[in-house]
Amino acid sequence: MADNTYDAIVVGSGISGGWAAKELTEKGLKTIMLERGHDIKHVKDYEQTNRPVWDYPHRGGRTQQMIEDYPKLKRDYPLNERNLSYWAVDKDCPYTETKRFDWFRGYHVGGRSLMWGRQSYRWCEADFEANGKEGIAIDWPIRYKDMEPWYSYVEKFAGIQGSYEHLPQLPDSQFLPAMDLNIVEKDVAARIKQHYNNKRTLIIGRTAHVTAKLPDSPERDRCQYRNMCWNGCPFGAYFSTQSSTLPAAMKTGKLTVRPFSIVKEIIYDKDTKKAKGVRIIDAETNQVQEFFAKVIFLCASAFNSTWVLMNSATDIWPDGLGSSSGELGHNAMDHHFRLGASGDVEGYEDKYYFGHRPTGFYIPRFRNFGDDKRDYLRGFGYQGAANRNGWNREVAELNIGADLKDALSEPGPWRIGATAFGEMLPYHDNKISLNKTVKDKWGLPVLDMDVEIRDNERKMRKDMTEDMKEMLEIAGVKNAHTYESDYAPGMGIHEMGTARMGRDPKTSVLNANNQVWDCQNVFVTDGACMTSASCVNPSLTYMAMTARAAAYAVEQLKKNNL
Amino acid sequence: MVAVVTGGAVIGGEFFLAGCKNPDTGVQLVFDESDIAFLDEVAETIFPKTATPGAKDAKVGQFMTVMVNDCYNEKDQKAFHQGMKQLDEACNKMHGHSFMKATPEHRKELLISLEKEAKEYQERRKTFNEEQDAKEKAEKERGNKAFEKETMPNHYYLMMKQLTIMGYFTSKEGRTGATRYEPVPGKYIGDLPYKKGDKIFTGLD
Repeated sequence: MADNTYDAIVVGSGISGGWAAKELTEKGLKTIMLERGHDIKHVKDYEQTNRPVWDYPHRGGRTQQMIEDYPKLKRDYPLNERNLSYWAVDKDCPYTETKRFDWFRGYHVGGRSLMWGRQSYRWCEADFEANGKEGIAIDWPIRYKDMEPWYSYVEKFAGIQGSYEHLPQLPDSQFLPAMDLNIVEKDVAARIKQHYNNKRTLIIGRTAHVTAKLPDSPERDRCQYRNMCWNGCPFGAYFSTQSSTLPAAMKTGKLTVRPFSIVKEIIYDKDTKKAKGVRIIDAETNQVQEFFAKVIFLCASAFNSTWVLMNSATDIWPDGLGSSSGELGHNAMDHHFRLGASGDVEGYEDKYYFGHRPTGFYIPRFRNFGDDKRDYLRGFGYQGAANRNGWNREVAELNIGADLKDALSEPGPWRIGATAFGEMLPYHDNKISLNKTVKDKWGLPVLDMDVEIRDNERKMRKDMTEDMKEMLEIAGVKNAHTYESDYAPGMGIHEMGTARMGRDPKTSVLNANNQVWDCQNVFVTDGACMTSASCVNPSLTYMAMTARAAAYAVEQLKKNNL
Repeated sequence: MVAVVTGGAVIGGEFFLAGCKNPDTGVQLVFDESDIAFLDEVAETIFPKTATPGAKDAKVGQFMTVMVNDCYNEKDQKAFHQGMKQLDEACNKMHGHSFMKATPEHRKELLISLEKEAKEYQERRKTFNEEQDAKEKAEKERGNKAFEKETMPNHYYLMMKQLTIMGYFTSKEGRTGATRYEPVPGKYIGDLPYKKGDKIFTGLD
């Protein structure tokens, strides 16, 4: 049994789990990282990374067989021929839907840090204050000042490229040199800025890409502008567990990584009121094993971390460890999107661009900020790009033949478009729960999803299309028109909430240091901990939150408080 | 979430998103070598060899059969197979002989006529499918969960043309021969001079 005893257990190996492993091992803790899926080794296992489109039989698309095999994943872009092995197999890991929920998961070492969009933004003061000021849900137990040093800390290691803008709604990170806006984007940015008197801005999308040598990670190479990130980067140019936190953790000699380890529950000791360890099912052999540690970091992805809690200590709390407040599983959130506006840019026929830039532009939130007031709460930001049409365009005046081939071999007119990403409020009734009548491949109960957007989001969605159209028109863009596609919660792949942080154990699952109120040596630092959602991409906040909680955990261990 | 928006109309893109079903049915939906040769000639008429490679160089006929077999739903598969016959019949009607025996000029003339036919057909299809979508929505709201809407397949010529363009520009021959293929650009320049005739840049994707 001694073999299975560590100082710390980290459940999950994605963005949060990777950070937990790095921080805990660097602070001297002997740590095991338990990952439910298979291993993927940095570079060596990025099988498709140098594969050109013509080497895929369906040129990267999807077949009827894939659609049959992936009834959930097929609902959006993740079902494709390129990185299919990076997405969880729906039929092995089902879930049920009281209301439609698109759950796109990465069950392997690295988790979704391999396929993430890499957009990286700090929250602002207003994000942390909003719940308390507006009387929504509960107040965050922390403020921007609590997070600020941890944002800086993780940014220096992760490598975030971006431009310094001094915006109150989008604090600057510690930036590497920014990627460039193209000529059309720069001109549109200037016109928007002038018209709105600096209250609206168009800036380069901030991403976790290395654009200069990183002192803390010299083995990571600069971005080569291939825009093939989602296959895994052979240059280690974007932040992932594999490129960044895992090598750092391994360097300490204190990390053990165990793939194929599905944590089914936390072992709770009711005498000490602490967790002793975790019980796993080996995904390959189906054997149950136990691992023991002084401290446990749950970083299994928002809903799976909550699933583990729901399955733990049910002899004491029928609804699971951390359920005493009645909030476990509740207040689920995502970012709602799939709408915006686009249009045609006249002129610039003598301009083009070189390189496949792995980001676009970003328009930070401007609604309900400062003196702006709307008939809904919170706001949204836009991600977009301007580019010249490629071969996949219609050429109205040409039918077929050499002329068409030549025309499509040249860049077409410029276009510009942007998609809005909006904040979703935390509603108690938006919940996930255990469905014990349906079992996964390993006989474990599955999650049932009961989440929807409500009036506040629907009102916001009107502005999300119209505001972009207006900005495009002001910038001189022709034929500006709005678009809106179906959105179902989960499509943002930004699941948040279900084990929220708070000031009071009666109304929250976690305290200000991400400890489960009911079991203080269990920390939850992934999306589950979120008390509200902001409208910016959440991953950078998970990194900072995890590093902060890890430092606190080690400090408490040293004081023998855990 | 990856969300870089091009905003452009994507010819062929709908196949990536809509995907396909291919249930086993009694209908023979198989291509043979002569079908591939036939489709090669259709594709070559759409994208002929010039200073840059043609569709045949890019093996577009073969590519079409793979996509139709693996990715198209049953209705579109049937429409595609029947369409090959219809195309040949239309050629007979217009020129008095089969497509394979037709001159490049006759072939082009025929396809241009189909172009118009396909466009009109697709308009009707769009209206029909929208009506069916509305009907489905209304039926579901009335609680009729068993309601199954009807759909019209795509016009065969449109499918052939889309597959030709996609197959060509995603092939090695098309990418390296007709575009500036840059798999590892190494840098980004957002303000690059351009003059008419300069080819598009393409990459690994």
